[in-house]
Amino acid sequence: MLTKLAMTGFKNRWRDYLVLFSGLIMSSAIFYMFEALATNKQFLSSNSGISLAGQIFQFGSVLLTIITLVYISYANSFLLSMRKRDYGLFMLVGARKSKIGQLIWLETLLVGITATIVGIALGTILTVGVSKLLVSSLGLTLHHFAAWYTPAASTTLLLYVGLFLLAGFFNLIALTKTPALKLLHSNDQPNRPRLKPFRQLVEVIIGLISIAIGYWAMSDLKNLQMAGIGIALVTIVIGTYLLFNAIFVWLVVLLKQFNFAHRGLNGFTLSQLSFRIRNYTKILSIVAMLFALALGAITVGMGFHRQVPLMANSSNAYDMGIVNATTAQKKQIAKLNPTNQANYHFKVGKKVVYYRASEFNQHPFTTMDQKSKNQIDSVAKQNNAKQLAKSMTSYQLSQLQASANQNMSQVFLSDAAYAKITSKQSTLTIFATKDVAKHMNALKHLAASQQRRDKGLTESMLGGRYGNYIIVNGMYSGLEFMGFFLGVAFLAMLASCLMFKILSGAAADRNRYKMLNKIGTRQSQLRAAIRKEIAVLFILPGIVGVIHVLFGLKMFTFIMVGSPYTGIWLPFLIFAALYVIYYLITVSIYRRIVLE
Amino acid sequence: MANTPIMTVADLHKTYGKPGTKQYEALKGIDFEVNAGEFVGIMGASGSGKTTLLNMLATLDQPTSGEVTINQQPITHLKGNQLADFRAKEIGFIFQDFNLLETMTAFENIALPLTLQNVAAKKIKPAVEMVASQLGISQFLNNYPNELSGGQKQRVAAARALINEPAMLFGDEPTGALDSKSARELLDLFTTINREQAVSILLVTHDPFSASYCQRILFIKDGKIGQELHRGDRSRTDFYQQILDTLGTFEQ
Ligand SMILES: Nc1ncnc2c1ncn2[C@@H]1O[C@H](COP(=O)(O)OP(=O)(O)OP(=O)(O)O)[C@@H](O)[C@H]1O
Ligand SMILES: [Mg+2]
Repeated sequence: MLTKLAMTGFKNRWRDYLVLFSGLIMSSAIFYMFEALATNKQFLSSNSGISLAGQIFQFGSVLLTIITLVYISYANSFLLSMRKRDYGLFMLVGARKSKIGQLIWLETLLVGITATIVGIALGTILTVGVSKLLVSSLGLTLHHFAAWYTPAASTTLLLYVGLFLLAGFFNLIALTKTPALKLLHSNDQPNRPRLKPFRQLVEVIIGLISIAIGYWAMSDLKNLQMAGIGIALVTIVIGTYLLFNAIFVWLVVLLKQFNFAHRGLNGFTLSQLSFRIRNYTKILSIVAMLFALALGAITVGMGFHRQVPLMANSSNAYDMGIVNATTAQKKQIAKLNPTNQANYHFKVGKKVVYYRASEFNQHPFTTMDQKSKNQIDSVAKQNNAKQLAKSMTSYQLSQLQASANQNMSQVFLSDAAYAKITSKQSTLTIFATKDVAKHMNALKHLAASQQRRDKGLTESMLGGRYGNYIIVNGMYSGLEFMGFFLGVAFLAMLASCLMFKILSGAAADRNRYKMLNKIGTRQSQLRAAIRKEIAVLFILPGIVGVIHVLFGLKMFTFIMVGSPYTGIWLPFLIFAALYVIYYLITVSIYRRIVLE
Repeated sequence: MANTPIMTVADLHKTYGKPGTKQYEALKGIDFEVNAGEFVGIMGASGSGKTTLLNMLATLDQPTSGEVTINQQPITHLKGNQLADFRAKEIGFIFQDFNLLETMTAFENIALPLTLQNVAAKKIKPAVEMVASQLGISQFLNNYPNELSGGQKQRVAAARALINEPAMLFGDEPTGALDSKSARELLDLFTTINREQAVSILLVTHDPFSASYCQRILFIKDGKIGQELHRGDRSRTDFYQQILDTLGTFEQ
């Protein structure tokens, strides 16, 4: 009998369940997707080239678990708010508590396990899709990447089932310990928003100080090392929370003074926000943090990728060197419009390559020298024969040589001495284009034709900008992919968290909107009110998150060539687009719940 | 003036349930008029169709057939913005459950219909203060609904319904959740507003005491108007007695 009752409750609220289900499915799918990368050691080690990647992913994994915990607690309270009345009714008609307890367990676990299994399946598909998309749109290369990874699936299932067992237990206590009547009338009464000037002032001050400490820790990472990240995380979370807590109520009171608060439903929206915000400060600060982490991950990932041409350019002043170029090759080179080109004659001796000093004095060889010790930035320097012989970076010339000559040292001879060398003379043609990345295809052609002529010339031996580009790109592709993946996973999680939190308040809003409709509010006004209210809840953490990122990027100044802020608009734009999509989804679901 | 109808109801039918499914005809042809400045009550047993009728009249639901005209304007086919604007300008409601927005102060609740029409902020304040003083709630304007008693909340709801100076004021059991003292105060208020501002009032109730404040009472039975009582010049107590007698015979 009760099971039947429970089923009818289920039928009546299928739309709410749909929201719950899709949220849980998304969450477990994302978690799986993440774990499939994070726990795949082979993938990590073969793609990052940086030992830090493993750590970053473990760190991300822990964070994601914590978020999942928060997420499920929101989802669960959504479920609970849906079922409270029904269970209250069951109790009133005299159902035994043990029976109701069973029902609650059954329902919670059923919802949880189904959602998780579907989520893992979806996660596998998503992993394929997202990785394909990233690989093709970013021009990355990945090795050992697998969409299905059994350890990840079992981790996901274990975590979610465990959390739902916990949730079921919690629901059991929450529902059976509450008297039936209270369950029936659990429409929470909001309290008057209080202004406590002194306390809020203290909160603002402590909040600002905490955030300042966090920003300082991030900017001084060189000295603080890993401890800096820890300090920053803790202080920034605390600071964000305190600031949200203190400032928001004031902001609403302030805004109400202005004329626009008396137009249309603006006053209503402000009041809604001021009542809500107390419940929202926690989630808003979490979301702001996650926002920062996600955006930061994407920005840094892309930043690293942007390093590729920079690093290639600072490794050598020339794109490639070709020995005894054929006429076809010469034509190809000419087509590239080289900005810098030189031909040097040489003769190969035992363990040395002989050049004509006069040629170098006429056409100096450019080397890329470090600006100063411990810095990645470099400057171009013109070298005549004498300078090059003494230069620390003369290896940049041998890198451009044929494969057999790369390990030989170079000797610059006067024309007379050079003429006395008996071995055969060859020509080394070296050239630089304006932009390696732009001429990738043509350069690849040229390199391939040269490799056919010089069998020992492997890709990593190509030496010049082009060869370095290939090497560094392989290394940073993995990093960029991880950054993107991490960012998207975090964003999806945080936006769904926020979405749930907002949607679980929708039921209480239904009556308010009904009433507004009854007293003659236009549909367009109601829709606008919903849009505005949710927009504020999305924008606030977004702004704070962006500020955090802008400061957080400082951390990377000392491991990147150039500024980590260049080209920052692109990841921000991508992020904003994704965030806006989440916002629109939330608005449309909310509207459907509230304006039926 | 007393004989111009502010509202006419002609052959109103309402059938619940879609064709083909189980149908129930809640209203079976209702005809009546309300004159400008009249205070009319609608009574009837539970399930007789009172709320259904009021919802049609107040544009909250659409009749299956028939026509309702308020202030010379046919209302049954209003849609979208026209409907919203009509509700906002021409009618006011008071319900049993107060229907205040608990996130806003009494002042903000009362001002809501004006802000919806984008009335200038400096005109809103005096308007709210005036209705509030008429309804005796001036000292509660800064309170939130959960800081008010049931009677006070109902007066705030009344103030909100009246602030737009509507042509018709509708009440569905507005005293239903009040104790007898608060109910009496609210009904006295209705009488005053009705007399002094000539607001037409339509009150649905099953409580004979509330009904005795009206000038005319329509009795609904099985979806039709069964009987009509006029108070005329009689005192309220006499009228009350007559209502009780009528109910005794009417609801056999
Ligand atoms: N949405 C609906 N769908 C189907 N039937 C309905 C609906 N609303 C009301 N009814 C039926 O119409 C009839 C009249 O209902 P109504 O709510 O108008 O009664 P009422 O006179 O207001 O009763 P009460 O004094 O108990 O409030 C009832 O028999 C009811 O079951
Ligand atoms: Mg009713």
